[in-house]
Amino acid sequence: MVATSRAPAYRPKRATTTEPRKRVGAITLAALALPGVTLNVAHADSAPEDGVVSAKLQVYKDSQPNLDRIKVIAPSLHIVAPIAGVWSVEASVVQDNISGASPRWHTSVTGASHMEDRRVASDVKLTRFFERAAVGVRFSYSDEHDYRSNALALDGRYSSADNNTTWMAGIGASHDLINPVNQVVENERKNVVEGMIGVTQALSKNDLAQFNLTHVRGRGYFNDPYKLVDQRPRDKNQTIGLLRWNHFVEGNGTTVRSSYRFYSDSFGVQAHTVQLEWVVPLSDRFMLTPSTRYYTQRQARFYFNPVYDPEIGEPYPAGYSTNPPTYYSADARLSSYGAFTLGGKFEWRIDKLWSVDLKYELYQQRSSWRLGGGGSPGLLPFRAQFAQIGISRRF
Amino acid sequence: MPEREGFGFTFTAMASPCEIRLAGVALAEAERLAHAAIAEVRRIEAKYSRYRPDSVLSQINAAAGHMGDRIAVDDETAQLLNFAANLSAMSDGLFDCTSGVLRRAWDFKVARLPDQATLDALLPLVGWKHVVWDGQRIALTRSGMELDFGGFGKEYAVDRAATLLEASGVRHGLINLGGDVRAVGPQLDGSAWQIGIREPRDPGSASNDHNRCFASLPLIHGAIATSGDYERFIEVDGKRYCHILNPKTGWPVSHWRSVSVVGTVCVLAGALSTIAMLKGADAEDFLNSEDVSYLLNNSDGKVVRHDA
Repeated sequence: MVATSRAPAYRPKRATTTEPRKRVGAITLAALALPGVTLNVAHADSAPEDGVVSAKLQVYKDSQPNLDRIKVIAPSLHIVAPIAGVWSVEASVVQDNISGASPRWHTSVTGASHMEDRRVASDVKLTRFFERAAVGVRFSYSDEHDYRSNALALDGRYSSADNNTTWMAGIGASHDLINPVNQVVENERKNVVEGMIGVTQALSKNDLAQFNLTHVRGRGYFNDPYKLVDQRPRDKNQTIGLLRWNHFVEGNGTTVRSSYRFYSDSFGVQAHTVQLEWVVPLSDRFMLTPSTRYYTQRQARFYFNPVYDPEIGEPYPAGYSTNPPTYYSADARLSSYGAFTLGGKFEWRIDKLWSVDLKYELYQQRSSWRLGGGGSPGLLPFRAQFAQIGISRRF
Repeated sequence: MPEREGFGFTFTAMASPCEIRLAGVALAEAERLAHAAIAEVRRIEAKYSRYRPDSVLSQINAAAGHMGDRIAVDDETAQLLNFAANLSAMSDGLFDCTSGVLRRAWDFKVARLPDQATLDALLPLVGWKHVVWDGQRIALTRSGMELDFGGFGKEYAVDRAATLLEASGVRHGLINLGGDVRAVGPQLDGSAWQIGIREPRDPGSASNDHNRCFASLPLIHGAIATSGDYERFIEVDGKRYCHILNPKTGWPVSHWRSVSVVGTVCVLAGALSTIAMLKGADAEDFLNSEDVSYLLNNSDGKVVRHDA
């Protein structure tokens, strides 16, 4: 090797879609088709090369002892299409058909009254890819007969020169309009803005770590209009931290995905989630991913246990007749509890174009499962099942 | 060893002097990485050696002429055979991995030309068109035919070793297998590696050490390969006959002393430089059609440089 005067370094043309107008010779393509002659890394800043259209059917059903409650059947359609190598457009539409008994606890209509509802939600996202960055804009719209929501979000990401580090940031805003059928309020609004920052770091060739921090500020109507005794603050701020670690196990080709999520809001709810997934390729075509998740939550400051006012009785909280509290709610979702989820996903790649996936999750929530004890008393265990079948085709 | 230079590991593989240079990693890590890369080179050498009776190529060659015997090959071999088929088609038959039988007529250790009758007897055994390849199984239809991956095997080993190093996190590395070079990122200080291109008429060329260079090409990513008339040759009556043989005539090429090509990967650079040698006067048009940078040294020693 001989050092000479500096000449511009040769940078061979890369046969990537980010240079759509670059002519690539026939022999170049033949050479790049050989196995293992280049490193195929899924960079954060590469546009999708293929389009994918997928249809899914999700079924959700929850129950309490001797009582079947809500059932949701949700068909959805999702499409991702690359445009000119540097753009991608993503669109999805989902329809939730909800039926069953309304929630049992502390509800204005007690018992198993029947309800039916339908929600249609759709969103469109446009992303522009650059050499080592990408920016996207997303618009979402959701409509059911008593609740309408519009949201707009912007996000961007940037990768370091060695592609080992990717920084992300995003902002978003949503506007909701609430018109409950029982007309306790009319044209109520909720406005939310949020910001997110994050970083993804390759720790080694087999380890990828990610940290995201999200802050959400909401103003407006947070009450559940279908609960008679429900008065919540008109502002709610949330902070969410998410730490992920994916580890590829070289010995057997499996991947372990683990995550920890911290949640805290100005209602006083604080929650921790840990999740573990194990991606096991059974063959070239079949993949199984068992997963487990544990969730534990501390109740909102204004959640009250089912101890009712001695004067006016159920469902009013104790002291309601003499010195009513400013805020109160008996929504079990604001109580103290713990929950386990067990699930699995099975994917079948039929050929280069078609694939099918099946997913099932079993969720169980109990007051006594709260980490360290101190779960809210008087609540029945709660169980939910979630199943999904999907079919995708590349194009 | 100066830090900027990193650590160099020299070894011999595929009958060539080889070096792997790694910077930006500790010595123990560099040793581990270099050993893994060398192991990959040796794996390919063993798998595709013509000299080992247990190699894939030896099995295919042993079955030549037995039309009933189509040899099923593994996926890696299948992809290399597809590449060979593509190269033959895209070079109008000039790049042909069955041309190795011509070595039976050409002995570059003795300054004596083969007689035309010997060459004429061998030429019917040369030609990808006599190969039956269905993407999974292969047969050489004529008895005495031979398949030889010499035209891209070493370059393939360079690329595989480079990918292995890059996947292991190497950001500053250089692989050189007998002059087929690939860079895995720049030098430690971010500057390009300077790849010297050997002077084809340097008398020291035979020894491989301290060759005089007529040019140097900077390289950060990608590969450089050179084909030249100086690696193996004989001189008869003042005329040079080199080892790069036209598969259609059986005679050596003479238009260029050397062709160096810069490519994304080494198999590409190697194939293009060899085909350009065989193309003779059409080399520039051919290389321009592939949109690559190259450096040509013609039979008078005149240099043509093109930056794509």
